[in-house]
Amino acid sequence: MPRVLILGGARTPFVRAGTEFADLDVLDLARAATSEALARTELDPGQVDEVIFGNVARPVAYHNLAREVVLSLSMPTRIPAFTVGLACASACVAITSAADHIAGGNADVVIAGGSESLTNVPLTLTPRLARGLIAASQAKSLPAKARSLADVRASDIAPVAPGIRETSTGLTMGESAERMAAMNAVSREDQDAWALRSHRLAAAGWDDGRLAREVGPVYLDGHAVTADNHIRRDSTPEKLASLRPVFDREHGTITAGNASPLTDGAAAVVLASEARARALGLEALAAVRSYAYAAVDPADQLLIAPAYAIPIALGRAGLTLDDIDLFEMHEAFAAQVLSTLAVLEQNGVGRVPVEKLNVMGGSIALGHPFGATGARIVLTLANEMRRRGARYGLATACAAGGNGAAIILERAA
Amino acid sequence: MIAPPPAEKLVEVERSRRPSVTFVPADASGVAQIVIDRPDDPVNAIDVRMMEDFAAAIAAARAAAPRGLVIASGKKNQYVAGADLSLLRGGTSQSDIEKASRSMQRVLNDLAALPFVTVAAINGPALGGGLEIALACDTRIAADAPNVRVGLTETRLGLIPAAGGTQRLPRLIGLPRALDLILTARQLAPKRALRAGVIDEVVHPAVLLRAAIDHAGRDPKRKPRGGATVVERAATHFAPARAFALRQARSRTLAETKGRYPAPLAAINAVAIGLAKGMDAGLDVEARSFGDLAVGETGHSLTALVMLTLRQRKAALEGLGKPRPIANVGIVGLGFMGSGIAQVAAASGFRVRGRDRDAAAVAKGLSTIRTLTADAAKKGVFERREAARITERVTGGPDLVGFRSADLVIEAVFEDIATKRRVIAELEQVLRPEAVIASNTSALPIAEIAREARSPERIVGMHFFSPVHKMPLIEVIRPAGAAADAVATAVAAAIAMGKTAIVVGDGPGFYTTRVLSTMIGEAFTLLSEGDSIEAIDRAMTEFGWPVGPLQLVDEVGLEVAGHAGETVAKARGIAAPTIVNALVAEGFKGKHKGGGFYRYDGRRRTPNPRVRELLGAPTHPAAGDIAERLTLTFVNEAVRCLDEGVLRSPAEGDLGAVLGLGFPPFLGGPFRYADAQRHRIVTALERLAAARGDRLAPTESLRSRRPFFTL
Repeated sequence: MPRVLILGGARTPFVRAGTEFADLDVLDLARAATSEALARTELDPGQVDEVIFGNVARPVAYHNLAREVVLSLSMPTRIPAFTVGLACASACVAITSAADHIAGGNADVVIAGGSESLTNVPLTLTPRLARGLIAASQAKSLPAKARSLADVRASDIAPVAPGIRETSTGLTMGESAERMAAMNAVSREDQDAWALRSHRLAAAGWDDGRLAREVGPVYLDGHAVTADNHIRRDSTPEKLASLRPVFDREHGTITAGNASPLTDGAAAVVLASEARARALGLEALAAVRSYAYAAVDPADQLLIAPAYAIPIALGRAGLTLDDIDLFEMHEAFAAQVLSTLAVLEQNGVGRVPVEKLNVMGGSIALGHPFGATGARIVLTLANEMRRRGARYGLATACAAGGNGAAIILERAA
Repeated sequence: MIAPPPAEKLVEVERSRRPSVTFVPADASGVAQIVIDRPDDPVNAIDVRMMEDFAAAIAAARAAAPRGLVIASGKKNQYVAGADLSLLRGGTSQSDIEKASRSMQRVLNDLAALPFVTVAAINGPALGGGLEIALACDTRIAADAPNVRVGLTETRLGLIPAAGGTQRLPRLIGLPRALDLILTARQLAPKRALRAGVIDEVVHPAVLLRAAIDHAGRDPKRKPRGGATVVERAATHFAPARAFALRQARSRTLAETKGRYPAPLAAINAVAIGLAKGMDAGLDVEARSFGDLAVGETGHSLTALVMLTLRQRKAALEGLGKPRPIANVGIVGLGFMGSGIAQVAAASGFRVRGRDRDAAAVAKGLSTIRTLTADAAKKGVFERREAARITERVTGGPDLVGFRSADLVIEAVFEDIATKRRVIAELEQVLRPEAVIASNTSALPIAEIAREARSPERIVGMHFFSPVHKMPLIEVIRPAGAAADAVATAVAAAIAMGKTAIVVGDGPGFYTTRVLSTMIGEAFTLLSEGDSIEAIDRAMTEFGWPVGPLQLVDEVGLEVAGHAGETVAKARGIAAPTIVNALVAEGFKGKHKGGGFYRYDGRRRTPNPRVRELLGAPTHPAAGDIAERLTLTFVNEAVRCLDEGVLRSPAEGDLGAVLGLGFPPFLGGPFRYADAQRHRIVTALERLAAARGDRLAPTESLRSRRPFFTL
């Protein structure tokens, strides 16, 4: 079976929703990450066989975001492309689909990524208003048009934001994370400490140039956005402790400080078969060794699935947790990270040494553009593995609906 | 009327027996067709035989009396691109040309007089006579395809529409819009033409014929309205309003042409008489003016220029190697020039990666590219979505990341040999061996820039003119060490960018900068002899140059112009004029840099009194013919470039001078001008040499009296 290499990639800076990328939509961001990924891998777009993108809050305008990326960059029009969704692990699906296509001999070079603009979330109409408007547009006469809208009520005029509550449980992500914190006895102090760690390591990652390596500037009208803008260099335990809990104001532990922020950004990685990479004379950062998805009952611990995906991926790779040199774990909430570590240990999978985990911070500090995060963690992991000469690395992400992803990378050569 | 003559015409092959125009009787729909398909000609250029066949087809249609008639082309993506220009070439008499115009008018009158509905199905360029055929139909349907353009382009050739165009267009869309289209010779894309009222419907190419047949089968015969609005119709049909509109058009045209170009005024006249005294009178004026203009020197010159431009698309590549395929272009330096180059490259379909020193500079360059594209989209050059795609084709960064896939890299960094050498050294680290490097410079010798390169054979020059998106010329410089394929690749890229490419040798200032600097140097001499700044510039603009030489120096910048002047003067062993350096030393560096030969106070421009003080000589009243002396200096130097082999051909010399430097187009270019007035020019140069120095002596080949062009 052909070995699948990660040649490289790039991401845009991750910026808080409503700030520097407010005027860019999800396609603008996806395009910026893709063109930079192509440039950094020195890959001629003519070599690309397929483009796969993950995206969560899908604008109505793009039925297939990935295909629009191909067309808007004037890549060869023959390149097929598709868009995938697995909530916050969407880009993981893009990457593992790409890996499967290459491993199965169905493609040689695939761009996989994800993009999200949480500034420009598509708002929809209430079903009653939407049905009324469609009926009115189909009605032939003016009175009939008026009748079509008769059932619409005043409260229907307000648009509906995309679901933030789990359909099956009615709980928000934050409320679910509060439950996890309680069930695993994760304290507010531990969560705040983890958040502080995330910001400090991210700042260090930028300062020594490791994060700059993966980020391509985005050029807006006349100026360039070159860096992530959520990292708080001035954060202290005191400041974090002073924040009020958001989701459970009475007994809660989760604050804006120990959760990931709403973020705009995109990331893309280039995968290729080993044979093609050699033919093109391109070097790889890492190779894909194995992956696994797992899922749990959302009513239990919504974001705990990575703790179950990880042992499966390890088993498929023939490895144990101790073999892993470097971990990248998506930080939806500090509570979720700490819960996952606790459950891994409880279940006998092993203890993740924190000094090997999220060594340049995580989503709490860097930000979390839903569709892009999966590609960001894989790219960060691959870059840092290459820099350290690490043998094995593991990337994981939790997702709404109780899903979780784990991808194991290994040294390319 | 811009079709190039087919090459076959030149060798007089036996004409095909197949007619150029065929009548196809009605099918079940009741609609018949006339199909235009001139044998052995890719663009359906109109010649005498086509008009004869057309007349026969119309007669057949009249006799068949179908319900409707579609006038279609038998060629893919080609309608009728205009008259065959070889009709107009030397030898044909004024009365023959006038006769040709009248016979085409008669044919189209017959077409217009058919008692059933006629529909033009326009599937490609309908220009000049091609549009006039369509205007003689009741309805015009165009395909929505990039190749489709409509326009009356005759004034660009120094001619006027001569098959009823000056009569039918104003009656169709109104006098104001019609005059605008005729006087600017603008070519409209289908959607613009629809908005202007020239076209009635735009459809997908695959639907074109069916749509035309539908219209021919069911439309009623109708009368054109003379404009979309009341105001337009008044300006067309109401005499006092018309007189006002015509008067305005005349005075604007006179101001723009300075009386050097007779065609626009003749077109206005034909339109005016036609609307005042009726179509027949208008057609008569049209035919007579056409005959006059076609044998006039201006008409000959402009026609020759258009033909040279069209031929150059192939001629530029002659004698070179094989162009390498280009998909990805790199641009180093995203200043105004580099951004302009990147924009033009992206607009022609290349993927572009730009590089400048830091992210802020890259952002500024990309922003310029976006603005240039958006402005062009507003003017209708690109459709909105196409404009977005053009912008999206350009990416950039502060390093050479992404340059490895480049097939061609154009460096447009500061004009400094050390900087350019450094850029080339950096490029050599990352480029693939087959990638071509082109240096954009106006004067630095390419061989010097390439001297320390590891593989100098892939380095050529591409001299772009500013502003890049407007200027139609690229001077490709071929240093002695360059590989033929590398030169061909640069030429092919220039052509792909929609520019005319000339290929010149690697001397100091190449061709264009050398002739221009020599002429400007002579302007400095005039200045020091006592002619005033204003007298020199005014004489030149009145002669037909777009801008006076001293004002041009201010606009280019005194340091750049001075450097070019020194390079060229040194090469010819002439003392370089000192005035520029003296001005620069006092802080006068150009229009936006403290002034130069002029001082700039807001929009006002006054001569800089310091110039006279620095020269230490008083001004004398205008003496001698300034424009003649400077223009002949230019011509003489151009000829010297040909003699020395810097130029490959007189054609490239004329194209470079007119398209790159604004040499007065009505003269056709320095070589065509020299052919037309050889005796006077040689005598004048000899007289000037005797009075003012040997540098002005006519070159040997000017004296030889052998014409540069053999036509």
